[in-house]
Amino acid sequence: MLELTRITAGYDRRDPVVRDVSLHVGAGEAVGLLGPSGCGKSTLAKVAALLHRPDAGTMTLDGTVIRGWRHRAPREQRTAVGVVFQQPRLSADPRLSLRELIAQPLRSTGRRRDVPERVAELARSVGLSDELLDRRPHAVSDGQLQRACLARALVLRPRLLICDEMTAMLDASTTAALVAVVERYRAASGAALLAVGHDRVLLERWCDRTVRWDERETEKGPAGPVTAGGGLRPPAAPR
Amino acid sequence: MAETALAQPGRTTRRVRVVTSAVIVTAVALAVLVVPPLAQLDQQAVDLANKLDPPSLAHPFGTDDVGRDLLLRCVYGLRVSLLVGLVAALTATVIGTAIGALAGAFGGWTDRVVMRVVDALSSIPHLLLGIFIVAMFRPGVWPVIVSVALTHWISTARIVRSEVLSLRSRPFIDAAVSGGASRTRVIVRHLLPGVLPQAGLAAVLMVPHAMWHESALSFLGLGLPAHQASLGNLVQSARGSLLAGDWWPTLFPGLFLIIPTLALAGLAGAWRDRINPRRKSELML
Amino acid sequence: MTDARENTAVPVLDVQNLSVRFRMRGGRDIAAVTDARFSVAPGECLALVGESGCGKSVLASALLGLLPANARTTGSALLGGDTDLLTIGERALARTVRGRRIGLVPQSPAAHLTPVRTVRAQLEESLRELTRARGSELPKAAVAAAARASFPEGHLDRYPHELSGGLAQRAATALALIGDAPLLLADEPTTGLDRDLVERTVDELRRHTDEGRALLIITHDLAAAERIADRVAVMYAGRIVEIADAEAFFGGPGPRHPYAKGLLDALPEREFTPIPGMPPELGALPEGCAFADRCAYADARCTGERPAFTAGLACHHPPTGRASSPSKESADA
Repeated sequence: MLELTRITAGYDRRDPVVRDVSLHVGAGEAVGLLGPSGCGKSTLAKVAALLHRPDAGTMTLDGTVIRGWRHRAPREQRTAVGVVFQQPRLSADPRLSLRELIAQPLRSTGRRRDVPERVAELARSVGLSDELLDRRPHAVSDGQLQRACLARALVLRPRLLICDEMTAMLDASTTAALVAVVERYRAASGAALLAVGHDRVLLERWCDRTVRWDERETEKGPAGPVTAGGGLRPPAAPR
Repeated sequence: MAETALAQPGRTTRRVRVVTSAVIVTAVALAVLVVPPLAQLDQQAVDLANKLDPPSLAHPFGTDDVGRDLLLRCVYGLRVSLLVGLVAALTATVIGTAIGALAGAFGGWTDRVVMRVVDALSSIPHLLLGIFIVAMFRPGVWPVIVSVALTHWISTARIVRSEVLSLRSRPFIDAAVSGGASRTRVIVRHLLPGVLPQAGLAAVLMVPHAMWHESALSFLGLGLPAHQASLGNLVQSARGSLLAGDWWPTLFPGLFLIIPTLALAGLAGAWRDRINPRRKSELML
Repeated sequence: MTDARENTAVPVLDVQNLSVRFRMRGGRDIAAVTDARFSVAPGECLALVGESGCGKSVLASALLGLLPANARTTGSALLGGDTDLLTIGERALARTVRGRRIGLVPQSPAAHLTPVRTVRAQLEESLRELTRARGSELPKAAVAAAARASFPEGHLDRYPHELSGGLAQRAATALALIGDAPLLLADEPTTGLDRDLVERTVDELRRHTDEGRALLIITHDLAAAERIADRVAVMYAGRIVEIADAEAFFGGPGPRHPYAKGLLDALPEREFTPIPGMPPELGALPEGCAFADRCAYADARCTGERPAFTAGLACHHPPTGRASSPSKESADA
């Protein structure tokens, strides 16, 4: 499904956050990428979500080599990957109601007629009431907003879902509820999952397989090149 | 609780300020819109017998050095100054928003080139650049507007650009891109609406600024032709009489410039309080 | 100061019937906290747990006098048996309580530290403000204060943005400890930290508790609570629904309130099953038990009548078999 090979990425070419990392997610597979905060795993997730152009390395999605990121990627490629971020407050346009939030991808892709039906369907599956759908982000809790963000990521039926610390701000019950929504969707659609996070217990319980970001990476940021650990393949070159 | 006063400094004071500003702005708007057509008085009527009369019942603001009624001259002057201020501020805001949004949204080379130009322009003092521009034209209202507009879009462009940049890096823009939104859609639906309140605020704040600029140009004799009443011209032509101890031809136009501009700035401030993210205090749950 | 209070019956903090109401626009009232009752003794750690929006952070703000102006509080919160935090007023809180008698370990230390000053400068300023250290003693005192929170001396001249999350947390803790306050209040001190950092932070706090301070830690992280707490108070929809011994709560007997049980069962290391539904709005709480519509045990009595908080539990259906021995907090409830 997703093949990242020797990806180097960051915000400064001289000091990339991600160095030479490879990662593989098979069709229908759920992979957990485990690493401390600030290690670059979120940047890697953005590369995989076609939102951040890597400085080096190759990526294939469903066997197709990716040539461009963000708006340089064809719309079909972008919408094949759904993404949920850590902070629901920053992930939601503050001016839009939750209903509009979930509907945005449908509108962006010219599927306006599907809006009422799909939004209702998604709202039901993530457990948002009709009354909540009419509220704007500032009037709902983090948990409720993250439910809407997950619904938005699922509304175009992605073949790969990327959850970047999706539950880091949430309590145990909401975490379990959102994971259950993702797993129901995956069971029904056969979609693959890349769950990025720092909670080992959670990712091991959730995913088929977890991959550890190199242990030498400390929370201080990239002190040296990242090498691949455990299940990363192919084994990255030693520093 | 004792904290009430501390936690919400002057909620009433703020309300009073807003209401006062609104009243003044409304009064000014009425005066400049309604008085000239209704009053049927000739602001240019010269009455040499009554030149430099101090304020009286017949001439509440007194008369100038050729006996023209200063109240009437002030209202007309304000009208011209406001017109110049409004049109110049609007033009500057449109230019600034467009340039700032493009620079912010596209980034990279576009951004770098635009920002260098902006830096270069802002290294020249406003007034100097403004003088340079008006000097190229025959005196009149339009050269002044063009001069003020062309020297004032820079700050708006900066504000809009930084706002767009901060919005652009938000995950919700990433989410829109991931959800298939086109570049245009991202700009029009997600970036611009977030920026417009700030741009509008900048426009309102710019009106008083532009009025001052017009006055400064006119005061230097570079702005409007001398016979046309503008606040700057009025103050300029009153300079001589001030030395002779006649204070009213300077004071009243001056007040007409200061009070409405302060009121406008007051309203703009209230608007800023509204559009800036609601304070956490009411939402800390 | 701390030592004097040790081994006495007076709790460091004694909260009775504390309620907080927010008056919203349009006259709507929000019941953020209702009838909270608990106490913390010297050398004890009480963890206040619950999901975000349950009112636990509001409770902390109420204790520190940091509520917004549209909030009203009732009840009492006695500090050291003599000072009611809810009534002494802002000036007294600022002068004699915050920093001196209550040390605050903040949620986001990076935001809590002044961005434009080094850690050393901030420590020295607090020392000047809160202790008698002056002039030439200050540098030594700052190093000592940093050491108490295991903040490495070599990093003292860094600015907050140059610190990692863990070090920023320690810097904030060092500041909180300077006044040698008998009560530490930690508001979500581990949010966003990695598991091993969470454990380090929590272990540090435990060490400070073992030195005789009382610690009230507010968190939604149950694993952190399990690691540090002597007792656990569970909050739901603005009310404390259960107070229990941490050992019993996380161990064999388990929690007694169905909500607390649901929270624990939602953990990935346990059942990983969510509690159905979502918590009610604090502005529109139901008549009866606020948890009734999500509870498997609920019956007509639960929806009609609010359970009283007795013997450390507010539930009409206490599990009779599980809690074989009454836990120690039954006495103070």
